[in-house]
Amino acid sequence: MSTGPRLVEDKPLAGLIGDLLQEQAQLSAVDRFSQWHDNDASPTAERYLERMPAHSPAAGEQYAFAVDLDACTGCKACVTGCHSLNGLDEDEVWRSVGLLQGGTAEDPYRQPITTACHHCLEPACLKGCPANAYEKSAATGIVHHLDDLCIGCRYCQLTCPYDVPRFNPEQGIVRKCDMCSDRLAQGVAPACVQACPTEAIRITLVKTDDVVADSQGQTFLPTAPAPYLTLPTTQYHTERVIPRNAVALDFHYLRPADAHPTLVIMLVLTQLGAGMFAVDWLVNLLGRGFAPGAALVALAAIGIGLVSSVLHLGKPRLAYRALLGLGHSWLSREVVALGAFGGMAFLYALMRDVPAAAEVLAYVPFPPLSWVAAATAFVGLVGVYTSIRVYQVTRRPAWVGPSTLLRFGFTTTGLGALTYAAVMSMSPAGDSDRALMVLLAVAGMSTVAKLGLELSVLTELRSRVERPVRRTARLLWGILRRLLLIRVALGVVGGVLLPVAAVWFWSSAASVLLVLAVCLGLAGEFIARHLFFVSASARRMPGSLE
Amino acid sequence: MEGNDPVSLTPDALSPVNQGSACPKGWEALAPLTAEDRGTAPLLKSPATGALEAVDWNTAATTFVERMKAIMDEHGPESVAFLGTGQIPTEELAFLGAFAKFGMGMVHGDGNTRQCMATAVRAYKESFGFDAPPYTYEDLELSDVLVFIGANPCIAHPIIWDRVSKNSRSPTIVVIDPRRTETAMAATQHIALTPKSDLVLFYILAKILIDKGWVNLPFVHRYCDGFEDFAAFVQDMDVEEAAGQCGLSAETVVGLARTIHLGRSVSFWWTMGVNQSHEGVRTAQAIINLALLTGNIGRPGTGANSITGQCNAMGSRLFSNTSSLFAGRSFTDANDRAEVAGILDIDEARIPRLNGWAYDQIVEGMRQKKIRALWIIATNPAHSWIQRTEFNELLGELDFLVVQDMFHSTETAQRADLFLPAAGWGEKEGTFINSERRIGAIRRVHRAPGQALSDFNIIRLLAEYWGCGEMFVQWKTPEDVFGILRRLSAGRPCDFSAISGYADLDEGGIQWPCTSKFVDTHRRLFEDRKFYRANGRAAFCFEKSRPAAEPVSTDYPLLLLSGRGSSSQWHTNTRTSKSPVLRTLFPEAAYIEIAKDDAERLGIKTGDLVTVSSRRGSVQVQAATSTHVVPGQVFMPMHYEATNRLTLAEFDPYSRQPSYKACAVAVRLGPEKG
Repeated sequence: MSTGPRLVEDKPLAGLIGDLLQEQAQLSAVDRFSQWHDNDASPTAERYLERMPAHSPAAGEQYAFAVDLDACTGCKACVTGCHSLNGLDEDEVWRSVGLLQGGTAEDPYRQPITTACHHCLEPACLKGCPANAYEKSAATGIVHHLDDLCIGCRYCQLTCPYDVPRFNPEQGIVRKCDMCSDRLAQGVAPACVQACPTEAIRITLVKTDDVVADSQGQTFLPTAPAPYLTLPTTQYHTERVIPRNAVALDFHYLRPADAHPTLVIMLVLTQLGAGMFAVDWLVNLLGRGFAPGAALVALAAIGIGLVSSVLHLGKPRLAYRALLGLGHSWLSREVVALGAFGGMAFLYALMRDVPAAAEVLAYVPFPPLSWVAAATAFVGLVGVYTSIRVYQVTRRPAWVGPSTLLRFGFTTTGLGALTYAAVMSMSPAGDSDRALMVLLAVAGMSTVAKLGLELSVLTELRSRVERPVRRTARLLWGILRRLLLIRVALGVVGGVLLPVAAVWFWSSAASVLLVLAVCLGLAGEFIARHLFFVSASARRMPGSLE
Repeated sequence: MEGNDPVSLTPDALSPVNQGSACPKGWEALAPLTAEDRGTAPLLKSPATGALEAVDWNTAATTFVERMKAIMDEHGPESVAFLGTGQIPTEELAFLGAFAKFGMGMVHGDGNTRQCMATAVRAYKESFGFDAPPYTYEDLELSDVLVFIGANPCIAHPIIWDRVSKNSRSPTIVVIDPRRTETAMAATQHIALTPKSDLVLFYILAKILIDKGWVNLPFVHRYCDGFEDFAAFVQDMDVEEAAGQCGLSAETVVGLARTIHLGRSVSFWWTMGVNQSHEGVRTAQAIINLALLTGNIGRPGTGANSITGQCNAMGSRLFSNTSSLFAGRSFTDANDRAEVAGILDIDEARIPRLNGWAYDQIVEGMRQKKIRALWIIATNPAHSWIQRTEFNELLGELDFLVVQDMFHSTETAQRADLFLPAAGWGEKEGTFINSERRIGAIRRVHRAPGQALSDFNIIRLLAEYWGCGEMFVQWKTPEDVFGILRRLSAGRPCDFSAISGYADLDEGGIQWPCTSKFVDTHRRLFEDRKFYRANGRAAFCFEKSRPAAEPVSTDYPLLLLSGRGSSSQWHTNTRTSKSPVLRTLFPEAAYIEIAKDDAERLGIKTGDLVTVSSRRGSVQVQAATSTHVVPGQVFMPMHYEATNRLTLAEFDPYSRQPSYKACAVAVRLGPEKG
């Protein structure tokens, strides 16, 4: 039996290993490829010219993506081509491909949908941006995100109905598709256009009037956001009839949205503070006298809230830029209002609750304390109003109309009254008992009303049509149910039962019970605001299996 | 480029193959090279801990040689086998085959191409006389009628579909597939036949063509053998009944026959739906028969065309030295052996006189303890081999398992006794041969991590340690071996002796045959009507159809089909899972597509966790209801390790290729009980 020659022990095999490893480290072709690529760029570019308009946009026109749905096979080369040619980070993508599905068993319908930024006529990202980091080019209509101006507040992710801006955690900013405008300017096709093997993506010129007209019908793609919101310019073409039952593959999926814990803290605590100052002003107005220390407690809440809001930013250093969008962005206005509120609260708390500071401040010709109290309360309520507007303008069905108004309002009245009462109970004076009773009644009624409001969304479960609000209800009664029940329990105990108990055990243990009530009530509100964010559901562009 | 390091790839608009397009995998092809779990040093299983520990190459190579020799000494040369691949350059495949069989003295060795192309190889050999896919990709643009059988190019071959979409003749596109695939949606006609009834369908199509006088008789009589026998064979079939067997109406089948008849240039394209079948060879030949009957061969836009999956399946078919001797020769033919021995300047006695075992026979050999040691190169059978649970048990029973791969993390590598770290595609040189017989070169643009060596150099090192370095003195570099391959190809149908070296391949590659410096970019075979059988004629091959091994039953009422799930995933996901951006493009966990009716009956909604069980085992996956599988059938992508826990090891008797796409399963809502 032969198994080949025997191992020869004395051969210089170690030398061979070294040689082979060394050879492996040589690169044979790198220079050649890059040189070849540099020299040969033009024929590559020419091949894609037919996928682009022959001239630049005239007045009343802009560039837009045109997608031939009948040619798209869903291969996703556009996503990787974009990723690769734009040099995006790791798993960052600016284009995505989802799937519409429907039809009948005999005649099924399945349509991949490739989607990126729609370079809208009325870009909600731009309108919402507090730092003016978006720009819509007058010449091309391309919506640019100016990365170096971005403060990473992620508000555009809430305002854009199409989930276009993507947060890049490493860089602390959002980034998005700019239609490869550098390439476009040089007459080279955008990455996705070049990458599409079936030429399903082109760049075309659209008349802005036509985009408006196209948006009237309120149909863009099945289950996608309604086009009247932002007037998206992407043109989806198909010769097939899209069946009426076509929905995105992920249409019935329940996806909790981002939680934004820093915003939860900021909103609840600034609203608590605003509520306390409003109560403070009212109590004073009605001649009951201030509760000592209440302004400091409120100031502390506001302070934590504002710090939290700065920490929310991807680039906290650039927080000051959030003032730039005052003319159009409710987020800018919120920043200004809450910032002013913080300043006023600081001043007022010093004047009121810190005797040493008050003495110094007495030399400054300030208006009387009651006026400052009124002004602080007013600015605080303005701040709450701007917060409400911030979420209303995102037009998420769970947030529009009175929903956000009432939620934030009841948080303000409920937590404000309850916390003020707790502070007041520690230093009873005059006929503060009656004031306490009134405050606790306000807190209790606010809590009950708010719980009712939060639970009322569950009636949507009976709806036979999967609207976004129904999805919110399914989330709340599905994977979020335990959290929802805890929230209700905390609300009932902290907002109602403990205050009632405090009245019952008047004087002896009231303060302890009320402090406990504030803690539980506050925890309940934090959870409620968390649920407010994660259960918010909106129509979105078609997605696929995850 | 960034400094000396490549950061991204762009397809070349001037390439005759992709014309500037790439699928997601191509765009992201650099990502796997920099993955965390690249093998950076040889790993040896520690006898003490059982864990793989890093060793130097000297230890690795010495261990390889000592253990292999010890096993061969004790149990004979047939006790050691290798499992190769279609993933490495032809030069490396040839070196592997030569070293294993001529140097080490192994008898058995096969490649993962058994899982994809063996059927086409066998079918072409019998029908044309050589494993010769006749087409050029340009034919996709030149057909009036394209018939895709068991093929989903939209997902599996996006660049092939790209070429179809560039066909300016508004072609009729027929897709024959049980599923309403992406390609079926994009086609002009979808023939949704019952799974595994395709052979019957092609026989009745042949009968209709013959009965209606739609046969190109001059072509058939001049250039083909066996027409009369074939005509007599199909004559016995009842069209109505047979169509019913395929789940189709007779009108549909006649309509399809008419479409084929009326087309001026009709091309037939098949992939795994045909190849991975219990009667795949006969089915592929039934397709070839249709092309022969209608004279749709050797003209632009025609052909019976098998599309390959792996980058170098064709290189493996011709030069892996596994089931056939170099360049399509036979181990059993004394002349062939003498020729090869002469070209390689080796002792003819070193060339085995037997065809080695096929993949499944090697597995059977493992079961019977005849195979005691296995050397697996650049493939992941612990994931991909059919009925994988059992295969994994057999791997565990081997005396010695060597795995040579880019990644130490594959299911197979983790079971190795010795792991050899290999360089990846961009870290070495060599040539590939694609579906249309085009030879293209790869270049080294990236440094291999740590101690990883090209497969070529690993084999070179092992050959030296084995003590047969002298046999391979001519095999110093891949380009040296390319020269040897040219000499081996000379005078064979796959002759590419006129290609002088890698420099000739820079402008987009060259198709075989290439016996002159001046050849066209796009060439198809048989334009001269000369086939490679001894008498120069093509043959009609046929046999009665028989049912698949595992029909559905009351306990297992659904038929499981498997296939490619997305264009962002490749086979066992070894490389495609390394790209973060590709990972965003496919579902993270395994899923099963189930017809809406079946789903409703079982109370299953999209996103639900379901248990899928077959007689081999059961797995838990996510459900996706779909209008694209027919009630009674379910579909699972092959990229998840769950799928091959369910499949049944049934094989085509001629090609020994596994039938991955037909086994009976049951689906139930909820996790596994117990």
